[in-house]
Amino acid sequence: MKKLFTVIVILGILYFIPLLMGQELMAQSLTLKISEESGSLTEGLRHFWEYTGFANASLGNFIMITVGLFFIYLAIRFHYEPLLLIPIGTGILLGNIPFPAGAGVGIYESGSVLNYLYFGVTQGIYPPLIFLGIGAMTDFSSLISNPRLMLLGAAAQVGVFGTFIGAVALGFEIHEAGAISIIGGADGPTAIFASAKLAPHLIGSIAIAAYSYMALVPVIQPPIMKLLVTKKERLIRMRPPRAVSRTEKILFPIVGLLLTTFISPSAIPLLGMLFFGNILKESGVTDRLADTARTKMIDIVTILLGITVGASTQASVFLTANSIKIFALGAVSFIIATAGGLVFAKVMNLFLSPGNKINPLIGAAGVSAVPDSARVVQQEGIKSDPSNHLLMHAMAPNVSGVIGSAVAAGIMISFLM
Amino acid sequence: MEETTTTGIDWSQIWIITGVGYTVVFLALLLLMFLFKNMPLFLNLVTGKKVKVMIKKIKPEDNGNQEEQYLSGEISAAIGMALTLYFKEQHDEESGVITIKRVARTYSPWSSKIYGVNNNLR
Repeated sequence: MKKLFTVIVILGILYFIPLLMGQELMAQSLTLKISEESGSLTEGLRHFWEYTGFANASLGNFIMITVGLFFIYLAIRFHYEPLLLIPIGTGILLGNIPFPAGAGVGIYESGSVLNYLYFGVTQGIYPPLIFLGIGAMTDFSSLISNPRLMLLGAAAQVGVFGTFIGAVALGFEIHEAGAISIIGGADGPTAIFASAKLAPHLIGSIAIAAYSYMALVPVIQPPIMKLLVTKKERLIRMRPPRAVSRTEKILFPIVGLLLTTFISPSAIPLLGMLFFGNILKESGVTDRLADTARTKMIDIVTILLGITVGASTQASVFLTANSIKIFALGAVSFIIATAGGLVFAKVMNLFLSPGNKINPLIGAAGVSAVPDSARVVQQEGIKSDPSNHLLMHAMAPNVSGVIGSAVAAGIMISFLM
Repeated sequence: MEETTTTGIDWSQIWIITGVGYTVVFLALLLLMFLFKNMPLFLNLVTGKKVKVMIKKIKPEDNGNQEEQYLSGEISAAIGMALTLYFKEQHDEESGVITIKRVARTYSPWSSKIYGVNNNLR
């Protein structure tokens, strides 16, 4: 009974204190306050909803997310350039998660983390570092032992200049056409480097087109090979390459660096780094540096390049008529470049003695796409003759294609800048 | 005369860039090719020694074989495969002796059981 009395007294005090303080205690006003509070809760939830990706999503975002997932699928299921397609595919997912403008997270918003990482792409920093790694892992022996195969790498650059004409015909401005044309070189870093200089607003489309087609080399090239190279020509066995002395291996990057950069100084960052990497490898006294360049360094740069290039494909920027044109031009340029290499190899055979003939299939490796196109040549070669291994021979036009596309990019930049 | 269309494209410039560009790429690689084709000769002149070449012609009087001797693709592939297998399988060549080595630890009061917090003080 005492307890009940105490409770009643406390409740009474609690009731009278607000009255003494002049506060309302009517049920109606209480209800009003509750409804106001629930109103702000709804408002908060509404704000939260507006901030989520679901509220900001557009059809374009979903299309691009599907493209990103498709890239990841291609990389995992078919092993098409997984080192590139996984970072790019994931980057596409990252870049197409919708967010409200001004959130400071988008790749095109200054101050965001992705924007800082993207700096390496827009300023052309990553491509030369990739070339450094490529130089440190490339063995130019096959090229040195059979220098005439360099011409196949030059012939395949017809893709670059063919695309240039095509891009202008499709209505692109001349600088844009120059940037797009480098897709024909089948060299992702070179394409990014050139577009950073000539048409920075097209970097995303150009990079994605270049890397997509590089990944699809095993799909694009074999039909063209079958179309242009006869069964008899595919059976041609080439003379094994001679052994190359260490002096020659050391001299190649030095002479190559001086010669190509004197001809095309605009390509110094690319060719300089490529040959510098090779000097590190071949000098034999900088193994640690060469090892870092061809392993950890190129891996780190590939991750950063892939993820940022992928993220740069925000639907609002990427899904345009121009991107579709660039993709179409990219496909045509790959076909032209492959055909150029194959036809030139056939033409070379007309002037070569029977014992020195070259298998025209290796002309397809003249497009850069190292080492995928050389691998495709090997696979196509062994389909016709399981004991005819063309990989070693195909690496020569393949690496000369890298040099050729960098020179072509340098020429394009010096003409148009 | 400039070949400019109504859309403002200067086609003569386009053709010049294409022609000159492609020619320069070709010339650059042609020059590199020429240099490295003659590099062994040049090195011979400089060093006075012959650059070692794997493609050796075996003279007919040596063994009566008239054909040039090369390492064929199959032999190269076989050597490559053998080396790969050898290096890959190296880890399998273990001693096969499984022992538990005694680990000798030096005494340290920091890890001593007698100073543990669970010791009952009497």
